[in-house]
Amino acid sequence: MTLPSKLTPEELYRTCNPLDFGFNTTADLDCPVKATGQKRAFDAITFSMGIKHDGFNLFALGPNGTGKQTAIMHFLGTTAPEAEVPSDWCYVNNFQKPRHPKALKLPAGKAGSLARDMEHLVEALFTVIPAAFSSEEYQAQEKNIHEKFQEQQADAIGELEKKGAEEHIALIRTPAGFAFAPEKEGEVLKPEEFMMLKKEERDSIEEKIIALKTAMQSIMAQIPKWQRETLEKIKDLNRNIASFTVKPLIAEIRNSYEAIQEVTGYLETLEADIIENFDQFLEKEADPRESLMGVYSGKFSQKRASFIRYQINVIVDNSITEGAPVVYEDKPACQNLVGDIEHISHMGTLVTDFTLIKQGALHRANGGYLLIDARRLLFEPFAYEALKKALRTRQIRIESLAQLYSLVSTVSLEPEPIPLDIKVILLGERSLYNILSVYDPDFSELFKVAADFEDELPGDIDGKLAYASIISSIVHKDKLHHFDRTAVARIVEHGSRLAEDSSKLSAHIQSICDLVHESDYYAASAKKTFVQAEDVQKAIDAKIFRSSRIREKIREATLKDSILIETDSEKIGQINGLAIYSPGGQSFGHPGRITARVRLGKGEVIDIEREVEMGGPIHSKGVMILSGFLGARFAIDQPLSLSASLVFEQSYSGVEGDSASSAELYALLSAISGAPIRQYFAVTGSVNQFGQVQAIGGVNEKIEGFFDLCKARELTGKQGVLIPVSNVHNLMLRNDVVEAVRQGLFSIIPVSDVDEGIEILTGIPAGELDTTGKYPPDTINGMAVARLNEMAEKLKKFTSSSDDDNQ
Amino acid sequence: MSFVMPERHKSTLIRHIAVALDCSPHSIASLGAAAELARLLNAELTGIYVEDINVIRMADLPFCHEIHMYTSESETFDASTLERSLKVQAKAARESLLRIAENLMIRQSFRVSRGVVPEEVIAAAGDADLLVLGRSGRSPTCRKGLGSTARKALEEGKRPILFIRPGFSAKEWPVLVLYDGSEGSRQALAAALNIITPDITLNVLILGETHEESVEMERALSEIIALLGSTVEYHHLPLTSGKTLMRYIRMVDSGLLVLSDRMKISREEVHELINEIDYPVLLV
Repeated sequence: MTLPSKLTPEELYRTCNPLDFGFNTTADLDCPVKATGQKRAFDAITFSMGIKHDGFNLFALGPNGTGKQTAIMHFLGTTAPEAEVPSDWCYVNNFQKPRHPKALKLPAGKAGSLARDMEHLVEALFTVIPAAFSSEEYQAQEKNIHEKFQEQQADAIGELEKKGAEEHIALIRTPAGFAFAPEKEGEVLKPEEFMMLKKEERDSIEEKIIALKTAMQSIMAQIPKWQRETLEKIKDLNRNIASFTVKPLIAEIRNSYEAIQEVTGYLETLEADIIENFDQFLEKEADPRESLMGVYSGKFSQKRASFIRYQINVIVDNSITEGAPVVYEDKPACQNLVGDIEHISHMGTLVTDFTLIKQGALHRANGGYLLIDARRLLFEPFAYEALKKALRTRQIRIESLAQLYSLVSTVSLEPEPIPLDIKVILLGERSLYNILSVYDPDFSELFKVAADFEDELPGDIDGKLAYASIISSIVHKDKLHHFDRTAVARIVEHGSRLAEDSSKLSAHIQSICDLVHESDYYAASAKKTFVQAEDVQKAIDAKIFRSSRIREKIREATLKDSILIETDSEKIGQINGLAIYSPGGQSFGHPGRITARVRLGKGEVIDIEREVEMGGPIHSKGVMILSGFLGARFAIDQPLSLSASLVFEQSYSGVEGDSASSAELYALLSAISGAPIRQYFAVTGSVNQFGQVQAIGGVNEKIEGFFDLCKARELTGKQGVLIPVSNVHNLMLRNDVVEAVRQGLFSIIPVSDVDEGIEILTGIPAGELDTTGKYPPDTINGMAVARLNEMAEKLKKFTSSSDDDNQ
Repeated sequence: MSFVMPERHKSTLIRHIAVALDCSPHSIASLGAAAELARLLNAELTGIYVEDINVIRMADLPFCHEIHMYTSESETFDASTLERSLKVQAKAARESLLRIAENLMIRQSFRVSRGVVPEEVIAAAGDADLLVLGRSGRSPTCRKGLGSTARKALEEGKRPILFIRPGFSAKEWPVLVLYDGSEGSRQALAAALNIITPDITLNVLILGETHEESVEMERALSEIIALLGSTVEYHHLPLTSGKTLMRYIRMVDSGLLVLSDRMKISREEVHELINEIDYPVLLV
């Protein structure tokens, strides 16, 4: 068998040639960020934003930091300004039903001017109405009406009084009313004087008094009617005066808004209300008791109430909006989305009115686009439901949550709903999209379009230029030092490393952005004009160093032999596997010892990790695959007569993944065959039942982990790592590893199946079946078969002797 | 032309003010004005309440019925109920006097007498330096002119006398004095100067027979008044009839009118003016 050759330094790291770039520094670039390599997502965005039907809202899915928001903002930045500016909206008092404020729709920019006009109107009314009502004309007319009533009353009574006086009968005021009595020289007759009169005279007086009394009663019965008539006349007068004063002011406003039917309708009801309630504009003397109660009392409170009554609460003001609005709601709480009805505390109770209606993001984005982070939306109580309700009903209905759930018991409002025409764009991770798709039937109705963002960009020249423009835009936006092309090239290389693929670039813009900022810091510290490749390298190294405490502790323990890892000798049933640790998001690789022991048994492979419940399901699956491989290779003709046990030595936490399964198989083959394994190799790669070695993740970190340990102990030139051949394209190794390989001090060997691997690890060929169906005895397989036969014999002997004993 | 101005705080010294109280709106206004004046002049205030003998007599006439004001129902008089009503009214009048006296920190007294109202009021106010009356009282006809008590006081010659109507405050009213050079008008001017506070402008309407006489009267007055430190504005009108005066007074919205019925205009014309004019009047 021809063994695979070691990888060349060029295969370990794909450099980005700075000369590929046609610019010297990012100062030469001014192109905006484009969603390069995101064609699928971009098509979805274009489709969703273009289609006008209900429910075609967008869910942009992909890992955080992949620039979903930037891409969408970029798209909307070009399309939204072309769209029509949506209408303004405001809430006004509903004079008939104050609990149901009315929503007014106005052309963009008109709501603010209407609000100002109304404010000026109310201010003017506080001047013109008192002036009209204090005018001499009004006073004279009012006095006339009152005097007419007084005269009417006085004339009627006076006539009666006069009639009485002719008969010597006086009309006298008593504490509770009136009375008639006979008089003489201005004084009421004394009883004895009266009794001295003749009977006829007395009877006559009595009759006259009764007649006068009856007449008086009929006059008094009419007084309330006269009073009512007087009040009615005063009311009419007031109405006429108020109407005469108010109409020209409102007509002036009406002229400015005559094309807007809703406004003219509102102005009509407003005019009627002002005329009906003109007295609120008249200055009244403040009640001294009220003035003790602070600013809400007396004249001030009356004036304030009038201002509020006729105020325009502008909910949406698009006066300075260009095109369709694009709103990103950072805190999508329910009340921030659909708006809220606030309350103020007034003398110990909570009160509200239509001026306390607060807009939400849906109002601001109505007629345009609303971007929301899906995770934050789901974290806010009731917010997701409120958003769905608004989208489903196509209207924004403001409901106070506290009122809805009876948290407060106070008077609240039911504002007229506002029609909603909006595209909502949710941004979130794929898992969130999947969960919502499965568990929420409304979701797929309302968010019919998914823009699936790629994790990686192609590593071709377009991708590299995209990186350059991303760096340039960050530099421009945050006013950083410009990057020269070597620095850009180094960031591109780092992008490949992040993508774990030398032919790709990571689409995780956030990481690139961080690296740009960190590199700028080091360039600025060194007082450079431009950021160069060495600054980028310094930033990368510094970041690794900052998070290397645990890695170095583990390496230190290994060097002190607290963790046993051999990198020099040869041992049977023992191999160096490679594990990845990811504490706090920064991952690193480190070797771990895997051992295998065999004994007589019934052919099972015992995974000690699984037995103690420290192994994950994928790891257990890998070990079971080994049983399948061993069975197929060695137990076709007879059962396996051994039991093997496998363990990750000195592992005190769980083990997951199948990337060590090839290492476990090599350890098992070594243990069965008795061929020692070279400990200066480390192995990674999973294996299938046919013995093919398969790709794994984190190959760079794993290689570097073993390299760092070997380097700390001194590189001998024999040391190396066996990786699956299918992982070669993932290699973007550190410069020191590449250099060591170049100098022949370290090697990386791609293997495609276990036979290649075991030969490299033991120096003994794996062996193939000859024409007689047997493995050559001096091969690993041959040695294994011989050992298995030997064990089978022993087992047979042991079984028959125990059977004899039993008989 | 020369004359001697009555010395301030001497001939027109007001130490005791009497006010007639019957709980009507006019009498409440009178009480307010009288109390303000009492405070200003540091005078004693006496409230006078007269139990109307005519009403008491009616209770003894079995065929007399009281017609209630707001129900128009009638019932016969009950002497004890009537007595109680009068007492209640007197008590209310006394309480309003006490309240205002306490607020303004003035001395007060209260008298209740029984008899024919106008005579009793005038008699009770006999020793007071100023009688304050509502222009009309509890008259059943709500007439516009002076009430019976005011008319009686006017005719009886009780001076000085202040007729009040609701809607004016003694603290801030503008004051207009009619001055024609007569002894009566000089006394009116002296009285006006006595009752105004320094921040009130005194308007003097000079009624001269000729223009020269008017100018001369103004010059003479300004020399004397300047010594007293009051702010005075002079207006001129040819000596004329009461009706023209009334039109002028209404036009300038005079406020308190101070005049005498011993001026060059006839006494009857002055009384007619007082009866017709709808402003408070101080008759000296």
